[in-house]
Amino acid sequence: MTLYELSGLQKCFGEVKALDIAHLELSENTACALLGPNGSGKTTLLHILALLMPPSAGTLCFRGKPVIWRENRLLPLRRKVVLVEQHPIMFSTTVIKNVTYGLKVRGTHRSARKRIAMECLDRVGLADFADRRAHRLSGGETQRVAIARALACKPEVLLLDEPTAGVDTENQAVVEQIITRLRDEKNMSILFSTHNPFQAKRLAQKQIYLHRGGIDTRINERQS
Amino acid sequence: MDFLTKSLAEAAGMLFSLDPELYFIVYVSLSVSLMSTLVASVMGIPLGFFIAVGQFWGKRGVITVLNTLLALPTVVIGLFVYALLSRQGLLGHWGLLYTPAAIVIGQVILILPWVASFTVSAVSRIDERYRRTAMTLGAGPFQTAFAIIREARFGILGAVIAAFGRVIAEIGIAMMLGGNIKGFTRTMTTAMALEHNKGEFVLAVALGIVLLTVSLGMNILLQVLQGRYGEDR
Repeated sequence: MTLYELSGLQKCFGEVKALDIAHLELSENTACALLGPNGSGKTTLLHILALLMPPSAGTLCFRGKPVIWRENRLLPLRRKVVLVEQHPIMFSTTVIKNVTYGLKVRGTHRSARKRIAMECLDRVGLADFADRRAHRLSGGETQRVAIARALACKPEVLLLDEPTAGVDTENQAVVEQIITRLRDEKNMSILFSTHNPFQAKRLAQKQIYLHRGGIDTRINERQS
Repeated sequence: MDFLTKSLAEAAGMLFSLDPELYFIVYVSLSVSLMSTLVASVMGIPLGFFIAVGQFWGKRGVITVLNTLLALPTVVIGLFVYALLSRQGLLGHWGLLYTPAAIVIGQVILILPWVASFTVSAVSRIDERYRRTAMTLGAGPFQTAFAIIREARFGILGAVIAAFGRVIAEIGIAMMLGGNIKGFTRTMTTAMALEHNKGEFVLAVALGIVLLTVSLGMNILLQVLQGRYGEDR
Protein backbone atom coordinates (compact mmCIF):
# COMPACT_ATOMS: atom_id res chain seq x y z
CA MET A 1 0.00 0.00 0.00
CA THR A 2 1.15 3.54 -0.72
CA LEU A 3 2.08 5.42 2.43
CA TYR A 4 2.81 8.84 0.95
CA GLU A 5 1.96 10.17 -2.46
CA LEU A 6 3.32 13.57 -3.45
CA SER A 7 2.02 15.40 -6.53
CA GLY A 8 3.36 18.71 -7.77
CA LEU A 9 4.70 19.39 -4.30
CA GLN A 10 6.62 22.63 -3.89
CA LYS A 11 8.06 24.46 -0.92
CA CYS A 12 9.37 27.99 -1.23
CA PHE A 13 11.15 30.12 1.34
CA GLY A 14 10.73 33.62 0.00
CA GLU A 15 12.15 33.58 -3.51
CA VAL A 16 13.99 30.31 -2.99
CA LYS A 17 12.32 27.12 -4.17
CA ALA A 18 13.59 24.52 -1.71
CA LEU A 19 11.50 21.63 -2.97
CA ASP A 20 9.86 20.84 -6.30
CA ILE A 21 8.72 17.25 -6.66
CA ALA A 22 6.47 16.38 -9.61
CA HIS A 23 5.50 12.95 -8.33
CA LEU A 24 6.72 10.56 -5.68
CA GLU A 25 5.24 7.51 -4.01
CA LEU A 26 6.55 5.83 -0.89
CA SER A 27 5.34 2.38 0.13
CA GLU A 28 4.33 1.19 3.54
CA ASN A 29 6.53 -0.91 5.86
CA THR A 30 9.73 -0.36 3.95
CA ALA A 31 12.96 1.39 4.84
CA CYS A 32 13.71 4.15 2.41
CA ALA A 33 16.79 6.37 2.21
CA LEU A 34 16.82 9.96 1.00
CA LEU A 35 20.15 10.86 -0.51
CA GLY A 36 21.45 14.12 -1.80
CA PRO A 37 23.95 16.89 -1.19
CA ASN A 38 23.47 19.73 1.30
CA GLY A 39 20.63 22.01 0.26
CA SER A 40 18.97 19.37 -1.89
CA GLY A 41 15.76 19.57 0.16
CA LYS A 42 16.04 16.42 2.30
CA THR A 43 15.21 18.14 5.60
CA THR A 44 12.43 20.21 4.04
CA LEU A 45 10.87 17.06 2.58
CA LEU A 46 11.11 15.26 5.93
CA HIS A 47 9.46 18.20 7.72
CA ILE A 48 6.58 18.12 5.22
CA LEU A 49 6.24 14.34 5.54
CA ALA A 50 6.24 14.75 9.33
CA LEU A 51 3.31 17.15 8.82
CA LEU A 52 5.18 19.91 10.60
CA MET A 53 5.31 22.26 7.63
CA PRO A 54 2.75 22.72 4.84
CA PRO A 55 3.94 22.75 1.26
CA SER A 56 3.63 25.98 -0.73
CA ALA A 57 1.88 24.13 -3.55
CA GLY A 58 0.84 20.62 -4.54
CA THR A 59 -0.76 17.79 -2.61
CA LEU A 60 0.47 15.28 -0.12
CA CYS A 61 -1.61 12.14 0.34
CA PHE A 62 -1.18 10.00 3.42
CA ARG A 63 -2.49 6.46 2.89
CA GLY A 64 -4.49 7.61 -0.09
CA LYS A 65 -6.14 10.59 1.59
CA PRO A 66 -5.04 14.16 0.88
CA VAL A 67 -3.61 15.88 3.96
CA ILE A 68 -5.68 18.87 5.06
CA TRP A 69 -3.28 21.37 6.60
CA ARG A 70 -5.51 22.46 9.45
CA GLU A 71 -4.29 22.02 13.01
CA ASN A 72 -7.33 20.02 14.19
CA ARG A 73 -7.02 17.63 11.23
CA LEU A 74 -3.24 17.26 11.51
CA LEU A 75 -2.98 16.13 15.13
CA PRO A 76 -4.36 12.59 14.61
CA LEU A 77 -2.03 12.13 11.62
CA ARG A 78 0.97 13.54 13.46
CA ARG A 79 0.46 10.94 16.16
CA LYS A 80 1.24 8.28 13.55
CA VAL A 81 4.42 9.92 12.28
CA VAL A 82 7.47 10.89 14.33
CA LEU A 83 10.50 12.81 13.13
CA VAL A 84 13.92 12.53 14.77
CA GLU A 85 15.82 15.68 13.86
CA GLN A 86 19.43 15.80 12.72
CA HIS A 87 20.39 17.56 15.95
CA PRO A 88 17.64 16.50 18.35
CA ILE A 89 16.89 18.76 21.27
CA MET A 90 16.08 17.42 24.71
CA PHE A 91 13.59 19.01 27.08
CA SER A 92 15.41 20.33 30.13
CA THR A 93 14.54 17.45 32.41
CA THR A 94 15.58 13.81 32.86
CA VAL A 95 16.04 11.26 30.10
CA ILE A 96 13.02 9.22 31.23
CA LYS A 97 10.75 12.29 31.24
CA ASN A 98 11.89 13.08 27.70
CA VAL A 99 11.09 9.55 26.59
CA THR A 100 7.68 9.54 28.28
CA TYR A 101 6.70 12.94 26.81
CA GLY A 102 4.91 11.55 23.75
CA LEU A 103 2.99 9.08 25.92
CA LYS A 104 2.06 11.77 28.42
CA VAL A 105 0.52 14.01 25.76
CA ARG A 106 -1.44 10.98 24.54
CA GLY A 107 -2.82 10.46 28.04
CA THR A 108 -1.11 7.10 28.68
CA HIS A 109 -1.25 5.99 32.32
CA ARG A 110 1.80 6.83 34.41
CA SER A 111 2.82 3.22 35.14
CA ALA A 112 2.49 2.21 31.47
CA ARG A 113 4.48 5.31 30.47
CA LYS A 114 7.41 4.31 32.61
CA ARG A 115 7.35 0.70 31.44
CA ILE A 116 7.22 1.61 27.75
CA ALA A 117 9.93 4.26 28.17
CA MET A 118 12.23 1.79 29.89
CA GLU A 119 11.65 -0.75 27.11
CA CYS A 120 12.53 1.87 24.49
CA LEU A 121 15.62 3.02 26.37
CA ASP A 122 16.63 -0.62 26.60
CA ARG A 123 16.25 -0.96 22.81
CA VAL A 124 18.76 1.82 22.28
CA GLY A 125 21.05 0.46 25.01
CA LEU A 126 20.57 3.37 27.41
CA ALA A 127 18.36 1.90 30.12
CA ASP A 128 20.92 2.97 32.73
CA PHE A 129 20.58 6.60 31.62
CA ALA A 130 16.93 6.97 32.65
CA ASP A 131 17.52 9.34 35.57
CA ARG A 132 20.29 11.41 34.00
CA ARG A 133 19.78 15.04 33.00
CA ALA A 134 19.05 14.93 29.28
CA HIS A 135 21.08 18.08 28.59
CA ARG A 136 24.24 16.44 29.84
CA LEU A 137 24.26 13.63 27.28
CA SER A 138 26.81 13.45 24.49
CA GLY A 139 25.75 13.94 20.86
CA GLY A 140 25.54 10.20 20.18
CA GLU A 141 23.63 9.49 23.39
CA THR A 142 21.23 12.35 22.62
CA GLN A 143 20.58 10.85 19.19
CA ARG A 144 19.85 7.45 20.74
CA VAL A 145 17.56 8.92 23.41
CA ALA A 146 15.77 10.86 20.66
CA ILE A 147 15.18 7.59 18.82
CA ALA A 148 13.91 5.97 22.04
CA ARG A 149 11.64 9.00 22.58
CA ALA A 150 10.27 8.56 19.08
CA LEU A 151 9.81 4.78 19.46
CA ALA A 152 7.93 5.25 22.73
CA CYS A 153 5.16 6.91 20.69
CA LYS A 154 4.80 3.63 18.73
CA PRO A 155 4.80 5.49 15.41
CA GLU A 156 3.62 3.93 12.18
CA VAL A 157 6.14 6.03 10.30
CA LEU A 158 9.58 6.89 11.63
CA LEU A 159 11.44 9.72 9.90
CA LEU A 160 15.10 10.26 10.70
CA ASP A 161 17.03 13.27 9.48
CA GLU A 162 20.68 12.22 9.04
CA PRO A 163 20.60 10.05 12.16
CA THR A 164 24.34 9.38 12.16
CA ALA A 165 25.63 12.84 11.19
CA GLY A 166 27.98 14.25 13.80
CA VAL A 167 27.91 11.03 15.81
CA ASP A 168 31.01 9.02 16.76
CA THR A 169 31.69 5.63 15.16
CA GLU A 170 30.47 3.62 18.13
CA ASN A 171 27.16 5.44 18.33
CA GLN A 172 26.86 5.33 14.52
CA ALA A 173 27.04 1.55 14.68
CA VAL A 174 24.41 1.45 17.42
CA VAL A 175 22.05 3.76 15.48
CA GLU A 176 22.50 1.64 12.32
CA GLN A 177 21.77 -1.49 14.35
CA ILE A 178 18.58 0.04 15.71
CA ILE A 179 17.42 1.02 12.21
CA THR A 180 18.24 -2.45 10.86
CA ARG A 181 16.28 -4.11 13.66
CA LEU A 182 13.29 -1.82 13.15
CA ARG A 183 13.41 -2.46 9.39
CA ASP A 184 13.49 -6.24 9.88
CA GLU A 185 10.61 -6.18 12.36
CA LYS A 186 8.49 -4.59 9.57
CA ASN A 187 6.21 -2.91 12.08
CA MET A 188 6.78 0.57 10.80
CA SER A 189 7.79 2.49 7.72
CA ILE A 190 11.20 4.12 7.98
CA LEU A 191 12.46 7.04 5.95
CA PHE A 192 15.87 8.48 6.68
CA SER A 193 18.13 10.99 5.03
CA THR A 194 21.84 10.45 4.68
CA HIS A 195 24.88 11.65 2.76
CA ASN A 196 26.38 8.22 2.82
CA PRO A 197 25.39 5.98 -0.16
CA PHE A 198 26.92 2.92 1.50
CA GLN A 199 24.86 3.45 4.60
CA ALA A 200 21.78 3.92 2.43
CA LYS A 201 22.49 0.59 0.68
CA ARG A 202 23.09 -1.19 3.98
CA LEU A 203 19.95 0.03 5.68
CA ALA A 204 17.35 0.84 3.06
CA GLN A 205 15.30 -1.19 0.61
CA LYS A 206 14.71 1.87 -1.55
CA GLN A 207 16.82 4.93 -2.24
CA ILE A 208 15.66 8.29 -3.49
CA TYR A 209 18.08 10.88 -4.77
CA LEU A 210 17.27 14.54 -4.36
CA HIS A 211 19.05 17.29 -6.23
CA ARG A 212 18.26 21.01 -5.94
CA GLY A 213 14.87 20.26 -4.45
CA GLY A 214 13.79 17.78 -7.12
CA ILE A 215 14.00 14.04 -7.59
CA ASP A 216 17.15 13.20 -9.50
CA THR A 217 15.49 10.88 -12.03
CA ARG A 218 18.71 9.88 -13.76
CA ILE A 219 20.23 8.37 -10.62
CA ASN A 220 16.93 6.93 -9.49
CA GLU A 221 16.41 5.23 -12.87
CA ARG A 222 19.95 3.88 -12.85
CA GLN A 223 19.21 2.45 -9.40
CA SER A 224 16.08 0.64 -10.49
CA MET B 1 25.80 60.56 60.94
CA ASP B 2 24.68 60.39 64.54
CA PHE B 3 21.14 61.08 63.39
CA LEU B 4 21.25 58.22 60.90
CA THR B 5 22.64 55.76 63.46
CA LYS B 6 19.98 56.80 65.95
CA SER B 7 17.21 56.40 63.34
CA LEU B 8 18.53 52.99 62.33
CA ALA B 9 18.67 51.83 65.95
CA GLU B 10 15.11 53.01 66.63
CA ALA B 11 13.91 51.48 63.35
CA ALA B 12 15.48 48.15 64.33
CA GLY B 13 13.70 48.44 67.68
CA MET B 14 10.39 48.98 65.88
CA LEU B 15 10.99 45.94 63.69
CA PHE B 16 11.90 43.66 66.57
CA SER B 17 9.06 44.90 68.80
CA LEU B 18 6.66 43.84 66.00
CA ASP B 19 5.11 47.32 65.83
CA PRO B 20 1.52 46.74 64.57
CA GLU B 21 1.37 49.94 62.50
CA LEU B 22 4.61 49.09 60.74
CA TYR B 23 3.62 45.51 60.00
CA PHE B 24 0.16 46.48 58.78
CA ILE B 25 1.79 48.83 56.26
CA VAL B 26 4.08 45.98 55.17
CA TYR B 27 1.05 43.68 54.89
CA VAL B 28 -0.87 46.19 52.71
CA SER B 29 2.18 46.70 50.47
CA LEU B 30 2.85 42.98 50.05
CA SER B 31 -0.78 41.99 49.50
CA VAL B 32 -1.41 44.74 46.93
CA SER B 33 1.88 44.07 45.11
CA LEU B 34 1.39 40.29 45.08
CA MET B 35 -2.16 40.65 43.79
CA SER B 36 -1.15 43.02 40.99
CA THR B 37 1.80 40.78 40.06
CA LEU B 38 -0.50 37.75 39.99
CA VAL B 39 -3.09 39.48 37.79
CA ALA B 40 -0.41 40.93 35.48
CA SER B 41 1.24 37.49 35.19
CA VAL B 42 -2.01 35.70 34.40
CA MET B 43 -2.66 38.23 31.63
CA GLY B 44 0.90 39.05 30.56
CA ILE B 45 2.46 35.58 30.21
CA PRO B 46 -0.10 34.25 27.68
CA LEU B 47 -0.11 37.63 25.90
CA GLY B 48 3.69 37.62 25.64
CA PHE B 49 3.67 34.00 24.51
CA PHE B 50 1.20 34.61 21.70
CA ILE B 51 3.03 37.72 20.55
CA ALA B 52 6.29 35.74 20.49
CA VAL B 53 5.04 32.68 18.63
CA GLY B 54 2.26 34.23 16.57
CA GLN B 55 2.73 35.31 12.98
CA PHE B 56 0.51 38.32 12.40
CA TRP B 57 0.57 41.63 10.64
CA GLY B 58 1.95 44.44 12.81
CA LYS B 59 3.85 42.15 15.19
CA ARG B 60 6.91 44.47 15.20
CA GLY B 61 4.61 47.40 15.97
CA VAL B 62 3.01 45.58 18.91
CA ILE B 63 6.45 44.75 20.35
CA THR B 64 7.54 48.39 19.91
CA VAL B 65 4.41 49.61 21.73
CA LEU B 66 5.03 47.11 24.55
CA ASN B 67 8.64 48.23 24.89
CA THR B 68 7.55 51.87 24.93
CA LEU B 69 5.05 51.12 27.69
CA LEU B 70 7.93 49.89 29.87
CA ALA B 71 8.79 53.55 30.40
CA LEU B 72 5.24 54.57 31.35
CA PRO B 73 5.53 56.92 34.36
CA THR B 74 3.53 55.89 37.43
CA VAL B 75 2.02 59.37 37.77
CA VAL B 76 0.63 59.17 34.24
CA ILE B 77 -1.05 55.86 35.07
CA GLY B 78 -2.21 57.38 38.36
CA LEU B 79 -3.81 60.32 36.57
CA PHE B 80 -5.38 58.13 33.88
CA VAL B 81 -6.90 55.62 36.32
CA TYR B 82 -7.92 58.47 38.66
CA ALA B 83 -9.85 60.03 35.79
CA LEU B 84 -11.63 56.71 35.24
CA LEU B 85 -12.35 55.93 38.90
CA SER B 86 -13.17 59.39 40.25
CA ARG B 87 -16.81 60.24 40.88
CA GLN B 88 -17.18 61.92 37.49
CA GLY B 89 -15.20 59.19 35.76
CA LEU B 90 -16.45 56.43 33.48
CA LEU B 91 -16.10 53.83 36.25
CA GLY B 92 -16.82 56.19 39.13
CA HIS B 93 -19.93 54.23 40.13
CA TRP B 94 -17.73 51.30 41.11
CA GLY B 95 -16.55 53.31 44.10
CA LEU B 96 -13.03 51.96 43.90
CA LEU B 97 -11.04 55.16 44.26
CA TYR B 98 -8.83 55.22 47.37
CA THR B 99 -9.12 51.47 47.91
CA PRO B 100 -6.47 48.75 47.58
CA ALA B 101 -8.34 47.56 44.44
CA ALA B 102 -7.65 50.92 42.76
CA ILE B 103 -3.93 50.53 43.51
CA VAL B 104 -4.03 46.99 42.05
CA ILE B 105 -5.67 48.28 38.83
CA GLY B 106 -3.02 50.98 38.42
CA GLN B 107 -0.15 48.62 39.22
CA VAL B 108 -1.43 45.99 36.79
CA ILE B 109 -1.38 48.64 34.03
CA LEU B 110 2.16 49.51 35.11
CA ILE B 111 3.64 45.99 35.04
CA LEU B 112 1.56 44.24 32.40
CA PRO B 113 3.90 45.51 29.65
CA TRP B 114 6.88 44.35 31.75
CA VAL B 115 5.60 40.80 32.11
CA ALA B 116 4.43 40.61 28.48
CA SER B 117 7.55 42.18 27.01
CA PHE B 118 9.99 40.03 29.00
CA THR B 119 7.91 36.93 28.19
CA VAL B 120 8.20 37.83 24.50
CA SER B 121 12.00 37.99 24.92
CA ALA B 122 12.18 34.76 26.93
CA VAL B 123 9.99 32.78 24.51
CA SER B 124 11.66 34.22 21.40
CA ARG B 125 15.02 32.94 22.65
CA ILE B 126 13.71 29.38 22.90
CA ASP B 127 15.05 27.10 20.18
CA GLU B 128 12.50 26.44 17.41
CA ARG B 129 13.27 22.72 17.70
CA TYR B 130 11.38 22.57 21.02
CA ARG B 131 8.15 23.46 19.20
CA ARG B 132 8.80 20.95 16.41
CA THR B 133 9.82 18.24 18.89
CA ALA B 134 6.67 18.66 20.98
CA MET B 135 4.52 18.64 17.84
CA THR B 136 6.15 15.60 16.28
CA LEU B 137 5.79 13.72 19.56
CA GLY B 138 2.05 14.27 19.31
CA ALA B 139 1.46 17.39 21.40
CA GLY B 140 -1.58 19.50 20.57
CA PRO B 141 -1.39 23.30 20.37
CA PHE B 142 -1.82 23.86 24.13
CA GLN B 143 0.57 21.06 25.06
CA THR B 144 3.13 22.52 22.65
CA ALA B 145 2.65 25.99 24.14
CA PHE B 146 3.10 24.56 27.63
CA ALA B 147 6.31 22.77 26.57
CA ILE B 148 7.73 26.04 25.21
CA ILE B 149 6.71 28.03 28.31
CA ARG B 150 8.31 25.35 30.45
CA GLU B 151 11.58 25.75 28.57
CA ALA B 152 11.33 29.54 28.91
CA ARG B 153 10.34 29.35 32.57
CA PHE B 154 13.47 30.92 33.97
CA GLY B 155 13.18 34.02 31.78
CA ILE B 156 9.47 34.28 32.56
CA LEU B 157 10.11 33.90 36.27
CA GLY B 158 12.69 36.69 36.02
CA ALA B 159 10.04 38.88 34.37
CA VAL B 160 7.54 38.19 37.17
CA ILE B 161 10.09 38.95 39.89
CA ALA B 162 11.21 42.15 38.13
CA ALA B 163 7.54 43.19 37.86
CA PHE B 164 7.01 42.54 41.56
CA GLY B 165 10.09 44.61 42.36
CA ARG B 166 8.69 47.43 40.23
CA VAL B 167 5.31 47.55 41.99
CA ILE B 168 6.53 47.16 45.53
CA ALA B 169 8.86 50.12 45.08
CA GLU B 170 6.50 52.45 43.17
CA ILE B 171 4.87 55.41 44.87
CA GLY B 172 2.93 57.43 42.26
CA ILE B 173 0.05 54.98 41.76
CA ALA B 174 -0.22 54.03 45.42
CA MET B 175 -0.38 57.70 46.42
CA MET B 176 -2.80 58.91 43.71
CA LEU B 177 -5.18 55.95 43.67
CA GLY B 178 -4.82 54.69 47.24
CA GLY B 179 -4.78 58.07 48.92
CA ASN B 180 -2.34 56.94 51.66
CA ILE B 181 -5.18 56.22 54.11
CA LYS B 182 -3.81 54.96 57.42
CA GLY B 183 -4.72 51.35 58.14
CA PHE B 184 -6.31 50.90 54.73
CA THR B 185 -4.25 51.92 51.70
CA ARG B 186 -1.01 53.11 53.27
CA THR B 187 1.85 51.24 51.63
CA MET B 188 5.55 51.20 52.51
CA THR B 189 6.49 53.81 49.91
CA THR B 190 3.60 56.20 50.65
CA ALA B 191 4.25 55.89 54.39
CA MET B 192 7.94 56.63 53.84
CA ALA B 193 7.10 59.74 51.82
CA LEU B 194 4.67 60.92 54.50
CA GLU B 195 7.12 60.33 57.33
CA HIS B 196 9.79 62.18 55.39
CA ASN B 197 7.45 65.15 54.92
CA LYS B 198 6.74 65.13 58.64
CA GLY B 199 10.43 65.04 59.41
CA GLU B 200 9.93 61.69 61.23
CA PHE B 201 12.53 59.34 59.90
CA VAL B 202 12.30 56.33 62.23
CA LEU B 203 9.30 54.66 60.59
CA ALA B 204 10.62 55.63 57.14
CA VAL B 205 13.98 53.99 57.86
CA ALA B 206 12.30 50.87 59.28
CA LEU B 207 10.14 50.58 56.17
CA GLY B 208 13.20 51.17 53.99
CA ILE B 209 14.90 48.24 55.72
CA VAL B 210 11.84 46.03 55.09
CA LEU B 211 11.66 47.14 51.45
CA LEU B 212 15.31 46.33 50.86
CA THR B 213 14.93 43.00 52.68
CA VAL B 214 11.98 42.08 50.43
CA SER B 215 14.05 42.99 47.36
CA LEU B 216 16.96 40.96 48.66
CA GLY B 217 14.64 38.02 49.35
CA MET B 218 13.24 38.15 45.83
CA ASN B 219 16.72 38.21 44.34
CA ILE B 220 17.85 35.30 46.50
CA LEU B 221 14.77 33.36 45.38
CA LEU B 222 15.63 34.10 41.76
CA GLN B 223 19.23 32.99 42.26
CA VAL B 224 18.14 29.77 43.99
CA LEU B 225 15.73 28.95 41.19
CA GLN B 226 18.37 29.88 38.62
CA GLY B 227 20.77 27.47 40.30
CA ARG B 228 18.20 24.71 40.32
CA TYR B 229 17.18 25.24 36.71
CA GLY B 230 20.83 25.69 35.80
CA GLU B 231 21.27 22.10 36.89
CA ASP B 232 18.60 21.11 34.37
CA ARG B 233 20.42 22.69 31.48
